[in-house]
Amino acid sequence: MKWLFGKKNKETNVETLDSLLKELKASSDFIHFHYEQSPHGYWISYFQTLVESKILHRDILPYVNKETLKSLEKFKEVIPIEDVEITSDVKKIKNKILQGYVFIQLHEHDNEGLIIHAATHKNRQVSVPEVEFSVIGPKEAFVESVDTNLNLVRKRLPIPNLRIEEVRVGKLSKTRTYIMYVEGISNEENVNTLRQRVKGIDFDTITDSSFIAQMIEDNHNSPFPQLIDTERPDRVAAILAEGKVAILVDGSPHAIFGPTTITEFFSAFEDYFLSWHIASAFRLIRIFAVAFSILSTPIYVATITYHYELIPKDLLSTLITSRSNIPLPPFFEAVFLELTIELLREAGARLPTKVGQTIGIVGGIVIGTASVEAGLTSNILLIIVALAALASFTTPIYRMGNTIRLIRFPFLVLGAIWGFVGIVLAFSFLIAHLLKLTSLGRPYLEPIYPPRITDWKDAIIRLPYSYLGKRPVQLQTQDTVRFSEQHAKKKRDHISRKSDIDD
Amino acid sequence: MKVQVNDQNKISPNLVFFLIHAVQVGVGILGFQRYIAEKAGYDAWISVLLAGIGGSIIIKIMYSMLLKEEGDLIEIHRTAFGNTIGNILSVLFLIYYFMMALAVLRTYIEVVQVWMFPQLSIFPYAFAFLGLVYYIVAGGIRTVTGIAFMGVVFPLYLILTIVFPLRYADFGDLLPIFSHAPIDILAGVKSTTLSYLGFTTLLMYFPFINDKRKSHIWAQLGFQFTTILYLLVAVVTFAFFSKEQLATTIWPTLTMFKIVEMPFVERFEYIGISSWALIILPNVCISVWAFSRGLKRVFHMQQYTGLKISIIALFILMLPFKDRQAIDQLNNYVSTIGFYVLYAYIPCLAVVYHVVRKVRDKHEA
Repeated sequence: MKWLFGKKNKETNVETLDSLLKELKASSDFIHFHYEQSPHGYWISYFQTLVESKILHRDILPYVNKETLKSLEKFKEVIPIEDVEITSDVKKIKNKILQGYVFIQLHEHDNEGLIIHAATHKNRQVSVPEVEFSVIGPKEAFVESVDTNLNLVRKRLPIPNLRIEEVRVGKLSKTRTYIMYVEGISNEENVNTLRQRVKGIDFDTITDSSFIAQMIEDNHNSPFPQLIDTERPDRVAAILAEGKVAILVDGSPHAIFGPTTITEFFSAFEDYFLSWHIASAFRLIRIFAVAFSILSTPIYVATITYHYELIPKDLLSTLITSRSNIPLPPFFEAVFLELTIELLREAGARLPTKVGQTIGIVGGIVIGTASVEAGLTSNILLIIVALAALASFTTPIYRMGNTIRLIRFPFLVLGAIWGFVGIVLAFSFLIAHLLKLTSLGRPYLEPIYPPRITDWKDAIIRLPYSYLGKRPVQLQTQDTVRFSEQHAKKKRDHISRKSDIDD
Repeated sequence: MKVQVNDQNKISPNLVFFLIHAVQVGVGILGFQRYIAEKAGYDAWISVLLAGIGGSIIIKIMYSMLLKEEGDLIEIHRTAFGNTIGNILSVLFLIYYFMMALAVLRTYIEVVQVWMFPQLSIFPYAFAFLGLVYYIVAGGIRTVTGIAFMGVVFPLYLILTIVFPLRYADFGDLLPIFSHAPIDILAGVKSTTLSYLGFTTLLMYFPFINDKRKSHIWAQLGFQFTTILYLLVAVVTFAFFSKEQLATTIWPTLTMFKIVEMPFVERFEYIGISSWALIILPNVCISVWAFSRGLKRVFHMQQYTGLKISIIALFILMLPFKDRQAIDQLNNYVSTIGFYVLYAYIPCLAVVYHVVRKVRDKHEA
């Protein structure tokens, strides 16, 4: 069977230092040269593209003199860089050189040498979040450098219990992946599950955290994301304090975290910055938007095709007038419009920003009006489909928004076949699927099912902070108490002005 | 003998409420008013109450056996009658579960055919529905319980529709009370049975309950919730329909849906009947689960195999029931068998079981 799968992609095994340097020299950006200072100099090797030349010229080369030339130990003492080591471990030397270390030998064929950290960091400045933008609240977003990202999180949680574990993932990319959790709060079972799954990943290159999210999710065949991705360091800090576990991946401006529930996908982080009534109202609007987005077109098709008796007389005449010239059956009319909207969305997402806006106007206004005038679609359906598309964009998590748009189509098909009966069937399939889903082994539909009343405080609505004293039951945290609710209540009573009714 | 179940697969005791209630409310509530009024006239609401009390006692009897055995029906049968006879009785019981699922699903499809789509061909729809049942039951008892929960919570809004007929209701119809002989009222109890059936599935999923002793109260509450619901529906129906009209109405509950009128929706029965699928679904799922679990326990086969057998059998056995008469007969059979299972077989089983246990325990001591 071996011939079938080809040779196993083994890493080339370098045994000696000489052969390592020879292999590395095959790349044109690898520098291996003799730095001459009488009587003999050093042999210096590094990747030009990985090393910060400033460090090399300021902190390393000036210290080459008669004294330091005597031995590597002397040199190590003198240079002002901390991360310096003398080693003869070939494998280690290889890894370090590939990470941007400078390797220095006393003589050309020496077996040991000095590895000095001089890696360059080219990255974007921390900027404003674009996907999860909030009007009020912090405006920092993660960037591609994981060190910066870790710093952004850690400075918000200055506690020794914040654990950060490094795992290298990807056979070729060896991507630095960090599992973050707060020891003493988060459930160890969750951490272990996540750690095991991350370590179990067998893949060549990990480009982004979404790769890892897809590989470690409980059910790969579900259209629903089971881990949330976020670009907000403040959100990561908050969920860590809540007892969840986060993963940061080098090269990705998105952190992922879990375990999560479906309601969390419809809560924007801005909800916590607004007063609780407003936040709860917004969340309800979002839930309504999801229901509307999934159900409106299928209900239209089902009603017009089978159940027009449902509609009261006055409304029916409006509907009939708008549909009287349309040659297509409602199902095809709806599919045509839905596909148009999806085309516009996809084109808008692929095109550069400025062209995208033009396309939006052309598509939205010109095509919409033209297709109604041409008698291809009815006005009312156009309104419904546009509203449904708009509603699907209210979902704060991008990946969930995509899912919402996709699952509308099975509803549409079943609604066209069996009317309302078909829609309820599709709905039952959806519920059954959600019931079976888990996020890191924890039920996905919680707190709706299993019904846990205490977790309703921050699910579909958000109660005032003084009621959020307990961590979610869902997470089974080691430390369940965030703060004393009684104490908070006393303080609040103290602040708020008392009525004089009993005086 | 104790039946061991992995702790991870257990359900919390309060969810028994939904399991009991969901499997009871099915197609029975759509048309039970006519059957009970035939026997007990407009005193039949007393029959509903009596059936509620009777069921409560049966649940208590079932718990007395289950708690002692710490197992399921199969184990109780084996203890009471020995392995061979016990297994034969178990299989008969399982067939009864299967018939429940069949009757419920076929009747629902009939309702859809009569009220919404006269042209609906059974097979594509039954195929899709049974596919859904397979998907749910394959998820195990926890998913089945979940669907039971959803099947109770989501359609709960239908209770509100009871307000609409009240405008035309005359509660004077119910008077005078006790105008029928007690024997008629008892006959009414027998007719209500179909609507109360199904909670004997408790005998199968009992080992999966987490805090078994605590679940008893939830089972009772779930049952009494059904009683209250039926009582409400029966009283409103009797107040709304005249006796002669009710005698010719096959599905009074659905007819009452027609009264519902809102500014944006007319002909509410379309919505009501469609939503009813969510009430039927847990019904079929729980019965099929109990059936396939029983096959596993008796024949030591994989429950997946049992599940596949039950789904295919359900699909094929839809065939012979083509018209109203056949379906009505099926429902009558299930109802009659159910009545005797509840009020004759289970008490007898309990007596035999407790006697055998007592003798055995004395012997061992």
